[in-house]
Parts: sequence; structure tokens; C-alpha cells
Amino acid sequence: MTLLNGLLPPYIESIAITVGIYIIMALGLNLITGVTGQLSLGHAAYMSIGAYASAVVSLQLGMPFIFALLAGGIAAGFFGLIIGYPTLRLTGDYLAIATLGFGEIVKSLLFNMPIVGGAMGLAGIPFKSTLTVTLIVVIIVIWMMVRVERSRFGRALLAIREDDIAAECYGINTSLYKVKMFVLGTFIAGIGGALWAHKIMVLQPRDFGFMKSIEILNMVVLGGLGSIPGTVLGAIVLTSIPEVLRFSSDYRMLLYGALLVIMMRFRPNGLLGGVDVTKLVKKSIKSITGSNFADKEKKKVKGGN
Amino acid sequence: MALLELNKLTIQFGGLIAVNKVDLKVEKGQISALIGPNGAGKSTAFNLATGIYSPTSGKVLYKGQDISGKPPYYINGLGIARTFQNIRLFKELTVLDNVKIGCHSRSKAGIFGAITRLSAIKNEEKQIEEKAFQALKLMGLDKKYDEFADNLSYGEQRCLEIARAMASEPELLLLDEPAAGMNLQEKIVLIEKINKIREMGLTIFLVEHDMKFVMGLSDRVAVLDYGVKIADGTPEEVQVNADVIAAYLGKEVV
Amino acid sequence: MDFTSNFIVQLINGIALGSTYALIALGYTMVYGIIMLINFAHGEIYMVGAFVGLALVTIFKVHIIIAFLGAMLFCMLMAVSIEIIAYRPLRRSKRLAALISAIGISIILSNLVNLLVGPKPQTFPSIEKILFEIKSFDLIAGAQINTLQILLIIVSAILMIGLQYIVKRTKVGKAMRATSQDYDTAALMGINVNRIISYTFAIGSALAGAGGVLVGIYFGVVKYNMGMLPGMKAFTAAVLGGIGSIPGAMFGGIILGVIEMMTVAIGFSSYRDAIAFGILILVLLIKPTGLFGKQIFKKV
Ligand SMILES: Nc1ncnc2c1ncn2[C@@H]1O[C@H](COP(=O)(O)OP(=O)(O)OP(=O)(O)O)[C@@H](O)[C@H]1O
Ligand SMILES: [Mg+2]
Repeated sequence: MTLLNGLLPPYIESIAITVGIYIIMALGLNLITGVTGQLSLGHAAYMSIGAYASAVVSLQLGMPFIFALLAGGIAAGFFGLIIGYPTLRLTGDYLAIATLGFGEIVKSLLFNMPIVGGAMGLAGIPFKSTLTVTLIVVIIVIWMMVRVERSRFGRALLAIREDDIAAECYGINTSLYKVKMFVLGTFIAGIGGALWAHKIMVLQPRDFGFMKSIEILNMVVLGGLGSIPGTVLGAIVLTSIPEVLRFSSDYRMLLYGALLVIMMRFRPNGLLGGVDVTKLVKKSIKSITGSNFADKEKKKVKGGN
Repeated sequence: MALLELNKLTIQFGGLIAVNKVDLKVEKGQISALIGPNGAGKSTAFNLATGIYSPTSGKVLYKGQDISGKPPYYINGLGIARTFQNIRLFKELTVLDNVKIGCHSRSKAGIFGAITRLSAIKNEEKQIEEKAFQALKLMGLDKKYDEFADNLSYGEQRCLEIARAMASEPELLLLDEPAAGMNLQEKIVLIEKINKIREMGLTIFLVEHDMKFVMGLSDRVAVLDYGVKIADGTPEEVQVNADVIAAYLGKEVV
Repeated sequence: MDFTSNFIVQLINGIALGSTYALIALGYTMVYGIIMLINFAHGEIYMVGAFVGLALVTIFKVHIIIAFLGAMLFCMLMAVSIEIIAYRPLRRSKRLAALISAIGISIILSNLVNLLVGPKPQTFPSIEKILFEIKSFDLIAGAQINTLQILLIIVSAILMIGLQYIVKRTKVGKAMRATSQDYDTAALMGINVNRIISYTFAIGSALAGAGGVLVGIYFGVVKYNMGMLPGMKAFTAAVLGGIGSIPGAMFGGIILGVIEMMTVAIGFSSYRDAIAFGILILVLLIKPTGLFGKQIFKKV
């Protein structure tokens, strides 16, 4: 199980874990914004809820990591329900503003809560998010997302994104589906947060501000709204580039803003938009092996591409 | 008992009464039509029947059950499916997925089904695919299953709307201007298909401006003008009705 | 100070604060009414207005009234360009695209200002040096109101009356109302919809710019991130009043300002931001159309 740990130089391993966590975060947001078309601007808030909840479970209850992970996911999903229920029932873009507000509230509450250390933060969280563990969670989340996307449930979400009135007329209880989807997306964010807490071991409220939510949104937008491979690519690119280039965070934020505008204007479906990754992979397998066993799974990747 | 019955159905948008105390019956197994000049309230009547709008007063009865104000997804589940005048396909999805979404009311799998993919779920998914292909074949679109809906021709998109509606296995099919924008050849094919759908036992209620199309196809025709029903009867009766001729004056009449 | 006088003081503070929310809320509501977009950049336009006013007063040494008008004009031009560059090309694409573009613009603006002037709060020259001395007047029960508050409330009121005049009495206003009721029909009737949208952005942003300068004068400091929270609160005010409704935005702003100051008065000042957000959620739960909003039948 610990096969992978320590195989890479520590610095690279640490980046790899971070990339993995952001892949998870971005996939959760992709479900909400990419697949279902509902803009959430508070994804980092759900990450922080997951992080703090899991840290408390680890520190106060001393339970095994798997419980901390689940607690993080469940806590975040619970708040997803509380925010999603009033806002997602309505047509319009209330979710965006509500999640934005919620993000700020969570941050200020964490600042004022002694049990999680307030502004000082929460320290002494055990290191549990090894590369192996992170990778396993990443694989599970990708696998879940692929299954969700290619199911009756996932099709309903896509239908809501494409045309919510038509979706409603074809039997989809759009509010219910949006709320369920949002709970799942925030649950995943909570899992990501739990991993994060057990990687950096110290939590501070300011690490989960608006800027972080925007960073995650950029990953989804860059790779391609609604595309799982695109989102993974976006998370990899945007997590590793700053590590390599290391420019100041002010410029980084400016760049993120510009990226959102430019992508929407010129490539709304992202870098991988219009590229059918499954087909591409099949084609290359075919050309390598000369057989067509890869054709058995004949479904297409749906979504933004 | 009529399959669908509008009972003094009324809706008001601000100062405009778009549908005004309309009484109307759609009998099982028949093809009924609703005609009238632009802005008469035909699409609004459909929107009321499918739950998109709630009536200001009056009722919509389906199989005797009051469905006015019920949400669209519920009404679809009861067996009413519709198409839209201003085509509302899921544009960035494939033709097949559009129709599969049509099967939503007749299938069950939820989130956990999606993730666990137990054999029952797999079976259901297989059935959805089969049904979807049947609906596509019916409308002559099965060869195009892999295309994006947005890339279909206009006439094909109208057919896909019907295929999607058929996939929900309705008893009552509401078609809002199914032939709009089609050429003569396409219209002839469409008439054949609608007749075939009727032979399958479905009841059809349609709105259409093309009078030849309506009069040739329908068992009964009702006429709306400024939200008010001004005539109702067989095509022959309606065509000679003085009110109807007056309402259409200057417009194309058969 | 006894309870009544404290209450009255906070009421006045609330009305003053609320007028600035109202000025910002108007821009949200007007833009939403016409193109159904939450213009996330609107809070940042207000922030830029404050900085332009500051720069005009301190660097260019112009009279505060000129600076005030200058900030309004600058915000107008800026918002119209933003609309043309970042929103107009997306008008026929999905709503999500314009929303994301708007959030992008908002991030660009606040970070641009951050890079230009730095993250430290900048002090706005005191009104006493540039316009008049601040005097206080006694009201009932020992409560006081000062000239600064009177100024803020009166200027906001004048601007809102001016807006009402434009919307109700002028041709542009009529075209704006028509476009917000039915975009396509308005276009068919020969209204130049693009121009009307530009006007809407221009007017809404001029009000936000004015609000920015007023807040600068009132609180004495401006900061690059001052747009976000008031922007959100103003949006809440717009929703509270009924999004799309102009009187709704005015009342919503003032009600929100008063509630916020009352929260402070009863000793929950650290929750003043949370309150606004709680109100947003409550309104959405109980009466999503707000106090003045009419039920909108989305055309199908
Ligand atoms: N959501 C709405 N809000 C306000 N007015 C509406 C709405 N929907 C429809 N109307 C108005 O109601 C009237 C009837 O419209 P409707 O679309 O039902 O006409 P129609 O008979 O289908 O016309 P057409 O043949 O052109 O499709 C029109 O005047 C229309 O503008
Ligand atoms: Mg119509």
C-alpha cells in the first residue's frame, strides 16, 4: 500500500500530492459548474469545512484517517445542502452569489471559533495524506465521476445545464437533482479538504478564501467545463505552473481573472473542448495493438467536449 | 371521459389575458388540433397543460385528475409529453443522449445506482438504450445517433424533438408546430409518422399553422383567437365557420 | 445615551449606509432586469469610482464636485467598455459564460488596483478641508445627525430621483423598460437594444461611481478590496427589494443598511456581514421575488 511513498524526491512528492488534491477539488466543482452549469464561487469554503471537520475528528477523537476523510466529506456535504436547497430551487444565478457570501461567512466564523484555533489556526494535525492515499482517492473520485457522468443521473444533470425547462418537461425534477448534485460536489470538496488538512498539518482560515475558490474555478474552465480529462489537465497545469514559475500572488490573481474572461470569449469549452479523449485513447490503442478490443466500450465522453 | 380536458382555463400575464376561459376536450385515440392566428395563446395553452405555467383560474384535467399547477416533471410522469415550437433540444449532447433523457420518467436509477452500477441498473441502462434507438428509428434518425443535436438540419431537429417525446412513452403527445420550417417532402413524411404514432395508440394534440397539414390530419380542430376559443368541431365544420374566417381574414385559409 | 437616542443614531447611520447600498444595488438591478446577468464586476466599479475620486482630489487637485462627476463619468465609460468587450460577445451563449466572464472582470479590476496603489487602505482627504465643516445637529432624545450624513443622504436621494426621472420620463428610459420586459420584441420594434444596454450599464455604473466617492468621503478610507462586501450586500438589497425593480433596490438598500446598523447597535457587530448574507438566504427561501418584485413568467 505504501509502495509509492518515498519513490520521488520529497519536493516532487509533495507537489504530486497537492496536484492530486486539486484534481479532487476541481472534479467536485466540475460536477457543479461544468456538468450541471451552476456557478459556485465558494468551493474553497467547502474545502475548509472538510479540512477542519476532519482535523477535529483526527485531533479530538483520534479516529482512523478513513473516518476523518468521511467526516470531512459529510460535513461539507451537509453545508452544501443548507446553501444549495434555498438557492438551487430558483432559476437564476443565485447560487453564485450565495456561495460567494457563504465563503466569506465561513472564513469569518473560523476566525472566531476557539475550537478550531481562530486566526491562529489549527496545528498538530497528523500527516496522513501520503502520495499513495491521495492517489487512491483521486482514482476513486475519477472513477465515480465517470460513472456518474455516464448514467441516468448524469444525463439529467447535463440536460439541466443545456435547458432546464426542457429537462423539467422530460421528467427531471430539476431542483431535486441540482440539490443532490450540489451535495455530492461539496462532499467531494470536503474529502479534498480533509486530505489537504492531513497534508499541510496546519490549518488557517485565510488559506481558504475567495482566491482559492477562483483558482479551482480556473482549473475547470481552463481544461473544459464538463470534461473530466479536461478538468484533470487543468488542475495539473494550474497547480504545477505556479510551483515552477513562482510569481507573486497578485499577478497570479490578475492572470486568473484574465484567463476566465479570455477563455469564455475564445474557448468556452476549454483546452480540451471538442477533443474526445476516449476516442483518442481508443484510436491510439488500436493503432498500437492493431486490434479493436477497445471498441467494446462504445460510449462517448459526454459533456463539454 | 376525455383524456385531456381544459376547463375554463385562464392565464393572465400582467394586463394580457393570453388564454381566456377556454373549454376544450381531447378525446383518446384522436388527433386534435389547436389553431389560431399568431399570439392567439396556443403555445400558452400547451404550457399550461404541461405545467410550465400555473393557470390564473380554471383547470387542466388529465384522465379526470386535476393537474393544473403540478410541476412539469410530474405531468410528464403521468404520460404527457410535448415538443417545443422554438426547438429546445439539448444542443451540446448527442442525438442518442437527447432521446435517452426522454426516457427519464420511465426509469429509476439514482446517484448510487450510477456509482455502483449493479446488474439491475445495467439492465435498465440497456433498456433505455434500446428504447432510445426505437424512438430514433421511428423518426428516421437512428443513423445519426452519434451526432450532436445542434448539427442536425432544422427538419431533423423537429423530428428529434418528437423522438425525445416518444421516448418517455406518453399516452398523450403535444406537438407545438411540428411542421414549422419543413419543406413539402419533409411534411409528407412527418404526416406519415404522426399517423403511425396514432396507430400505436397514442392521442395527439397539435398546434400548427399549415392548414392543409392540420385539416388533412386532424379528427377535431379548435380555434383560438386572442385567447378565446371561437370554434370547435371537425375540420369541415371549422373551415366554414364565419368567426374563424373573420379571425383569419387576410390570412391564408384553405 | 439612552436606548431611544442610541436607536435613532443607529437608524440615521443605517440610512446613510443604506443609501450607498441602494446606489450600488440600482446598477445590479438595472443590468439584471435587462440582460439577466449578475454583473459581478459592479462592486469593483464602485471601488474604482472611489479611487478615481481620490486621485482627482489628491493628485489633480480638482474641486470635490468635479472629482465626484469625474468619477461618475469614468465609471460610465469603463462599464460600457467592459460590457462591449466581455459581455456582449457572450450574449447568445450560455448564461454561465457571461457570469464567469463577469467574475473574471471583477478579479481583474480589484487586483489591478491592488497592483497600482498597493493593498494598504488609502485615506480620503477630510471633507472639512475641501468642502465644509462638519456640524452636528440635535435631534430628539439627544440623538444627533451631522452635515456629512445629511450630505450623503441628500446626494443619494437626488441621484435616485434623477434616475427615476430618466427611467419614467425620457425616451431612453422607456426603451430601457421595453427592453427589460421583452428583449426580442423590443429589438423587433426598432429599439437599438445594444445602445440601450450600454445606457443601462452607463447609468448604473455612474451611480456606483458616485457611491464610491460618497463612501470615500463618509468613511475617509478606500481600499482595493472595498468593492466585494458592499457589492454583495447591494446585491442582497436588490434581491430583498425584488431583483429588476428600481424602487425595490432603493428600499432594499436602506432596509439592509438599517438592519446592519441595528445589529451593531445591539452588540453583534462581528456578525454585521453575516446578517446581510442570512437575509439573502431567508429572502430566497421565503419570497424569492422580493418585496417589490413581480412574478416573472419566463417565456417558453
Ligand atoms: N411568459 C409570458 N409573459 C408575458 N406574455 C406572454 C408570455 N408568454 C406568452 N405571452 C403572450 O401571450 C400571448 C399568446 O402567446 P402564445 O405564444 O401562446 O401565442 P401562439 O398562439 O402560440 O402564437 P404563435 O402562433 O405565434 O406561436 C402573446 O401575446 C404573448 O406575447
Ligand atoms: Mg406558439
